Amino acid sequence: MAFSYAFKLAARSILHEKWINLLSILTIASGLLFTAITVLSVYNVDIATKKLPEKFSVMLYLKDNLSGEELENIINTARKDDAVKTVKYIPRDEAMKELKTTLKDTKYVLDGLGENPLPDSIEVKLKYEAVGPEIAKRLTAKLREIKGIDEIEYGEKFLSSIYSIKVGMNTIGIVFVIIMSAGMIFVCYSTVKILFYRKNDEIETYKLLGATGRFIRAPFIIEGAVIGFSGGLLSLIGILSLYYTVIFRLSYTIPLFKAVVFPVNISLFLPLVGLFLGMAGAVIAIGRIRY
Amino acid sequence: MIHFHDVSKYYDNQTALRKITFSIEKGEMVFITGLSGSGKTTLLKLTYLAEKPDEGNISVAGMEINKLKESSIPLLRRHIGVVFQDFRLLDSRDVFENVALALRIRGVNDKELKARVFDSLKIVNLRHRSDSYPHALSGGEQQRVAIARAIVSDPTIILADEPTGNVDPDTSAGIIRTFKDINARGATILIATHDRALFKNTGRRVLKLDSGNLTGEELG
Repeated sequence: MAFSYAFKLAARSILHEKWINLLSILTIASGLLFTAITVLSVYNVDIATKKLPEKFSVMLYLKDNLSGEELENIINTARKDDAVKTVKYIPRDEAMKELKTTLKDTKYVLDGLGENPLPDSIEVKLKYEAVGPEIAKRLTAKLREIKGIDEIEYGEKFLSSIYSIKVGMNTIGIVFVIIMSAGMIFVCYSTVKILFYRKNDEIETYKLLGATGRFIRAPFIIEGAVIGFSGGLLSLIGILSLYYTVIFRLSYTIPLFKAVVFPVNISLFLPLVGLFLGMAGAVIAIGRIRY
Repeated sequence: MIHFHDVSKYYDNQTALRKITFSIEKGEMVFITGLSGSGKTTLLKLTYLAEKPDEGNISVAGMEINKLKESSIPLLRRHIGVVFQDFRLLDSRDVFENVALALRIRGVNDKELKARVFDSLKIVNLRHRSDSYPHALSGGEQQRVAIARAIVSDPTIILADEPTGNVDPDTSAGIIRTFKDINARGATILIATHDRALFKNTGRRVLKLDSGNLTGEELG
């Protein structure tokens, strides 16, 4: 009964103050849309970097004429490290065979070489969670101390820049989401605060007639929730339109856009996020009811 | 039902009430009289806790106001029906909704609410104006709506601040009759008025206020 009355009051207020509410809904919608685009970008960079560990390996190029004992020592030392997943010995002949397969039609470039110039090597693959510049650096430093290793290669700069991009994107994403969330809460806060001030007389009368804080707050919180939810719904429509009319179409002509992953399930949460932010703004705006 | 003991109230070093002590027992109908500015409205405000006393103790419906938690104030106010001097009607609601508000706050269901609102409007002869908005009513009609709202929840205490201030003598007599009827059903009533004709020959207690002092008591 009291709940349906609160809904009725909220609906009446939303219609009565339609312009200010519409403005708030549009502001929240654009805020959530930008947030969704940021999250989408971070999500895609994250997916791209997640595929990296499968391809990442540390190559240990061995000195010539190593004894079996020395080779065993290198393999065992690498295997014992917590970050290491697999260790594979690649003899120089196998390496050459692989190189020829890779070069395919251009393998004639190797014709004049005569003797196989490639060294024996060991491929060390790291555990999924261990792939990162710090661990790779630590491991290579440790392995460098073992006798018999001529050179170690793992694409240090490439790994560092990819991880810098990932960390940078994540940080920017988090900061952006926090700022935008605070902004949207502030929009709902201001809207509800203005309505609350406008209805000050009415609220005073409620209090004098014995209304509880809950009775007074409920219509405003519902109003904030409706504003936030509507903003979220609009942003969902916006992000879906953006994806299907721009990115989806562009992927036919620009291959890079084919790699863009759009998490439809997650984007469905946008109205709920809006609802939460709207309610939070309203709760903060009303604050404590004083008698 | 209402007990004031040595109650004082000050506004910016001005004394609104000074060491007021009186008691109103359950089922009584009492008048407070005095000139404008004598402290009648302040006394009523202290009773429904729109103001807090600076000194002294007040007890209303068995609740010690000085010890009352803020969260319990709505509970106290639900025991009380108030006819405000400025009516405090909501302009955006029709007469029915204005009266119904007191019941909605108390969570009364729609069916009961409708019956009780129409009963109250019938008592104040405004059943036919239930769809009107306050701005379309005369001062006297607005006052009667305020009375209907004060009595609709069947409160144990009714406080009325100049309830006949805007009405003609006939309506005024009608309003007092209404209060007497409600009082006969057991409600305790405290009416603040400067109009001596209102309590004349009623046989009820009259508390006299003068510049914030309780100067005496007589029978009307």
